[in-house]
Amino acid sequence: MRARLLLPGFLLIFLVSIFLSGCGTATQNAQGTTPAAATNTESTPAAPSEKRVIKHELGETEIVGKPARIVVMDFSFADALATLGVAPVGISDDSDANLIIPEVKEKVGTYTSLGSRYEPNMELISSLAPDLIIADLNKHKAVYDKLKQIAPTIVLNDHQANYEHMLANYAVIADAVGMKEEGKKRLDEHQAKMEAIKAKLPKTDAKLKVLPAVVNPTGFFAHSNASYAGSLMEYLGLEDAAKSEEAYPKTNLEQLVALNPDVLFLMKTGDKTIVDEWKTNPLWQNINAVKNGKVFEVARNKWALSRGLIGSEQSSEEAVTLLSGK
Amino acid sequence: MTRRQSIVPVLLLLLIVSAIISIGTGAVSISPREVVESLIGTGTKNHSFIIGEYRLPRIVLGMLAGAGLAVSGAILQGMIRNPLASPDVIGITKGAGLASAIVIFLFPKSPAYLLPLAAFGGAAVVAVILYVYTARKRVQPATLALVGIAIGVICQAGIQYLMVKNPGDVNAALLWMAGSLWGRGWEHVWAVLPWILVFLPIAYLLAYRLDVLSLGDDVAEGLGQDVTRLRVVLLVTSVALAGACVAVVGSIGFVGLLSPHIARRLVGGKHALLLPVAALLGVTLMVAADGLGRWLLPPMEVPVGIVTAVIGAPYFLYLIGKEKRRGT
Repeated sequence: MRARLLLPGFLLIFLVSIFLSGCGTATQNAQGTTPAAATNTESTPAAPSEKRVIKHELGETEIVGKPARIVVMDFSFADALATLGVAPVGISDDSDANLIIPEVKEKVGTYTSLGSRYEPNMELISSLAPDLIIADLNKHKAVYDKLKQIAPTIVLNDHQANYEHMLANYAVIADAVGMKEEGKKRLDEHQAKMEAIKAKLPKTDAKLKVLPAVVNPTGFFAHSNASYAGSLMEYLGLEDAAKSEEAYPKTNLEQLVALNPDVLFLMKTGDKTIVDEWKTNPLWQNINAVKNGKVFEVARNKWALSRGLIGSEQSSEEAVTLLSGK
Repeated sequence: MTRRQSIVPVLLLLLIVSAIISIGTGAVSISPREVVESLIGTGTKNHSFIIGEYRLPRIVLGMLAGAGLAVSGAILQGMIRNPLASPDVIGITKGAGLASAIVIFLFPKSPAYLLPLAAFGGAAVVAVILYVYTARKRVQPATLALVGIAIGVICQAGIQYLMVKNPGDVNAALLWMAGSLWGRGWEHVWAVLPWILVFLPIAYLLAYRLDVLSLGDDVAEGLGQDVTRLRVVLLVTSVALAGACVAVVGSIGFVGLLSPHIARRLVGGKHALLLPVAALLGVTLMVAADGLGRWLLPPMEVPVGIVTAVIGAPYFLYLIGKEKRRGT
């Protein structure tokens, strides 16, 4: 009979998967529970109960005192907490701690990785027993009700935020963690720093046309004036070569030649990118940035992922340094 | 109980074992004993919360979706008399995929409940187009498959266009297309359950007619079936099952293609046995795949749609390999 021959194969596949799952249960015990236990000692007693109502994208959330165990679901929120000297207990970091810029990582210290930013591990979040969760509207709105069950949750529009929105989000975060005044102070410092950086920018007759872009093997994704990196460049008094309502328009070589930026800031996702191929094309040489030798490689985590005060100060500083040719 | 029927308890046992292990698997691991303790209400609070709020609903939802997609696929294969038919191939999941891509890309600020509604709407639109062709007299079953494929291609083109235009949001869309049980809760279970409770029994009642239909349109008509009407009823049942499942878990197409095939090879082509066995296989495949997906790279979760394909496809190839050898 067919059945007699085929059933074992089916059984085998499932027994193997079951066996593997079983192994996982044993080995992960330590991993799953220790971070929560270890970070327990860090939690300081909350400040005298002071109630605040925080308005955010999905409503209002009441927060009492100073949250001590905070879970953040994107890099930008970790950047914001780092400026306030608050260490989150959990970060969804796409399982890659190197995506957090060193200056932020240093201030955050040890934390529990929550996996993908798009599908952060709900079980881990709940087992961390947080007292505040900061989530992104686009990525996490579907689980807002579940997050609310775990801890007071605020949802910010970070994914589509430009530089100005980021500053507004920062103020909300500072208020949520009970450090409104510190946040204001830090924002003032930030503004002063940015003015100083702006002042260092070499003077030109016309605005320099710059273009930050993420490049990977499949494409060139311009960060337009609607994006965070592009709006930051415009804030500095530069012009983003890509004008678009879309934040990250995919751009081909011909379009890039037409945009003709004076400066390119390339954020590479890996060693090989589409630009390697473009470099062999004579069109590439027609771009002003290439002619002037102003094609710079910059770090994606600093320029596009750490959308916060630290990230923006650092990338602006780097932009000015590169442009003044020092 | 005949030899063929005796496979049912074996599959049931397999399902129960994989369900218990799957409940215990994940970034926070829970031993099978604690799983049972939590289920009967004597477990620790933290583990009981994790099981009750995250794992149990997604496993139950995985079961419902596995059964729904598998039976939907089995009906389509029987009705079109083509082994390639599945909710994926006739365009249902693609229709749902296009609708969800439109929501993800063009209305990024829309409330979260809109996505499953739109996905169901997309599947329904495809169903209406298919219906127009099915309701015609003397339509060849293969025509239906071709119509579905054509619709699927159009939808796929739309999805790709949206993805190329909006590269910043591609990840969210890709995750939905792959099919995922992440963040699903009891509210999703309650949304799918009525569809399964209504349409699975209907499918079972139609099993005998599917057998007759598989003899060919002429024979079926000779045996007193109104073939055109029967086909419409079967299509509605199949689309309702697949549409409800896909709306909530994303376009997991492979379970609907694979489970009926494995079932047919295990118990033969009689739908009264084929449908329940396909459903059981679909359920087990989803539960095992979801557990594996949570175990592989914690704290990342591998979407269940990807894991079903990765563990299902090699077995499928093995089956086809065996068939070829027998054929020559």
